[in-house]
Amino acid sequence: MSSGGVRHFTFLYEANTSARGSLELENWITWQRATGSGRFDQVDFRHELEYGATDSFQVSIYLTDWFYESDPAHSGFTYSDTALELIYNLTNPVVDPLGFSIYGELKAGDRLVELESKLIAQKNLGPLILAYNATLESLWEGHDLAEREGELSQALGASYEISPRISVGLEILHEFVLPEWRDEEKMRNFFVGPNVSYRRQNWFVTGTALAQATDTDHEPDFQLRIIFGIAL
Amino acid sequence: MAMICLLDLSSCETTSFTPPPVTTELARSNSSQRGNIVMLREGRALFVHRCIECHTLPAFWHYSTEDWPKIVNSMSQRSNLKPEEREAVIAYILAVRAQKKF
Repeated sequence: MSSGGVRHFTFLYEANTSARGSLELENWITWQRATGSGRFDQVDFRHELEYGATDSFQVSIYLTDWFYESDPAHSGFTYSDTALELIYNLTNPVVDPLGFSIYGELKAGDRLVELESKLIAQKNLGPLILAYNATLESLWEGHDLAEREGELSQALGASYEISPRISVGLEILHEFVLPEWRDEEKMRNFFVGPNVSYRRQNWFVTGTALAQATDTDHEPDFQLRIIFGIAL
Repeated sequence: MAMICLLDLSSCETTSFTPPPVTTELARSNSSQRGNIVMLREGRALFVHRCIECHTLPAFWHYSTEDWPKIVNSMSQRSNLKPEEREAVIAYILAVRAQKKF
């Protein structure tokens, strides 16, 4: 089987989906660091299988999401969840005015259920890729899944191919976190940072470093995400 | 706001970035004689869908007529192209090159 495709971004999705019949393993590592009164370090890991069901429909399974956290109270590894992700491509980012895809994800774990939907837009202009994601997340967690949280986010990215193997760019993430879906308690976070992607015949690695431009406590001041994908 | 910017950009003069559609004229200029109009259309569809899974589309003039088949062949496994699909992509690229006389 062949590769599913290369990611040019790590905090955004691209509109194009994997080739029919392709299978790929992706490993994600995300390090988040917060300083100040709500300081913590957290490293998230994801192991994902991505399969091209048709040329416009991609199915992915997050085999496991787990993380290591360290804060003043405790530290340790924790299993988080397993998830199913579906992406359907509607239009092509090269030949159509804009490439669009719709995205759905169902995540379930230890006292955790999450639904996520996304609209993905993309335009390829020669060596430049521009991408936009609008995301709505609903999260239920805790005992009896009684705690609720919503999140609305937008992300914008640009990636420029400086050689057939290397792309560099920028990612911007703007999110509203709504604990218990209450508007008065919402937190606004704004992250911005560079990305770089390197690809070879059967694998790729893409990384993004984001810094928080807002000053929200208990949210990471810095995030680094690296995705390594390999064809199976 | 970001969406508006993206839409605005997409409405700019982007035709130079868009691989030309397959016309009877393009098929006639297919000096390599690789494939008919149906094959060329399939080749274009595969070119704009499969190749962008890994990289942006290079300009047709960027590689020579001799180099293009080797390049497509070297990436055909990664892009999951069957032999006949690979031939269709090569036929389309060479037809465009022939028409544009790069």
